[in-house]
Amino acid sequence: MGTHNKRLLAGLLVWYVVLSLWTAYAPADRQFWLLSSILPSALVLVLIGTHRSFPLSAASYVLITLFLSLHTIGVRYTYAEVPAGAWLDQAMPLGRNQYDRIVHFCFGFLLTFPIEELFRLTTPVRGWLLYYLPVMTVLGLSGLWEIIESWVARTVHPELGITYLGSQGDMWDAQKDMAAAMYGSLLCMVLLLLYRRPRLGLSRSVADSPR
Amino acid sequence: MKRINLLLGLSAWYGLLWIVLAIAPRDRQDWFLENLLALSAVATLVATYRRFQFSTPSYVLITAFLSLHAVGAHYTYAEVPFGFWLQQAFGLSRNPFDRLVHFAYGLFLAYPLRELLIRLAGVQGLWSYYLPVSGMLAQSGLFEIVEALIAEIVSPELGAAYLGMQGDQWDAQKDMLAAFAGALLCMVVLLVCARFGWTADFGSRGRRGRPA
Repeated sequence: MGTHNKRLLAGLLVWYVVLSLWTAYAPADRQFWLLSSILPSALVLVLIGTHRSFPLSAASYVLITLFLSLHTIGVRYTYAEVPAGAWLDQAMPLGRNQYDRIVHFCFGFLLTFPIEELFRLTTPVRGWLLYYLPVMTVLGLSGLWEIIESWVARTVHPELGITYLGSQGDMWDAQKDMAAAMYGSLLCMVLLLLYRRPRLGLSRSVADSPR
Repeated sequence: MKRINLLLGLSAWYGLLWIVLAIAPRDRQDWFLENLLALSAVATLVATYRRFQFSTPSYVLITAFLSLHAVGAHYTYAEVPFGFWLQQAFGLSRNPFDRLVHFAYGLFLAYPLRELLIRLAGVQGLWSYYLPVSGMLAQSGLFEIVEALIAEIVSPELGAAYLGMQGDQWDAQKDMLAAFAGALLCMVVLLVCARFGWTADFGSRGRRGRPA
């Protein structure tokens, strides 16, 4: 890995740590902040631990950092009270703070490429399956997330039930969140396909196909 | 028994069961909705048989799941007699048959999905145990999304029946958890079998066409 990349990674890490310290200073709900910080911290530790033996592309690291930043900001305000989301709700009549839905979409949109890269580097999967499997993985992780969320809601705040932070009183919240992640993931794969299409056409398909 | 005879037997079994259960379902419209996906799956299996054949265990497992689903569809899931019996026997607050079938979905179909991933996509090693679980969970999530869409678009009363929420706000999550647990159990059993060398894994030789 070149010095250029090293500097970029260091910059991303510094940015994320500073942002995390700011959100850790006075979160709206300390317990929620603690619970929601477990998985991101684990992910960051894994990424730091594997950046030498298994380096991802700079694009992947940037995308992951972007997503983690959005998540961290959401956690600072327990998602339901993020100012940007409240502002959006006022600007457009959405009926609720949509910040969490946007982050669910970004989970799919921003993390699908790193997942695709993981498959590309560690498995012999090629062709359309390389575009299909990351979408499936994102949807699977979204489902797992909703299961964990409901479990936390039932054990930590059983009296709140469905009005618990995550769902804001919407009985279809889990389905909408998963759908948002899937749409984000699909959009990412479509963009990637469009980006790669011309090169594929020049190097393989046209040259090899019998006329 | 020859493989072809077994496959014909499975087809005959499912065909007969399906016809018997199609005669007087509790709710014809709900039965129709439930069978859309099931019949699409059967049609896909038949149409792709020449190009891609699953191994015999996969076909047995798929048939087992489809049979359970046919029974559930006949009784709109919420009124399956066996479920009522379970409810009484274990003192449950609801008919657990649909939860059971969600579990069976993960348990029975993770194996065919793994075969598909190995033979078609060339997935190997630990990935071949992780991806089927992730895939079953993803399909469960997609199913819950589709269910919600149908419930919101089609008549709300029927939607509620089709959905089988039975008044539980966490129904979707519990259903997904059941499928996830089923798939996980299937993969753990396979891992243990592979560890002790009791089963041979799908060879890469039969990538297309018949299994090796």
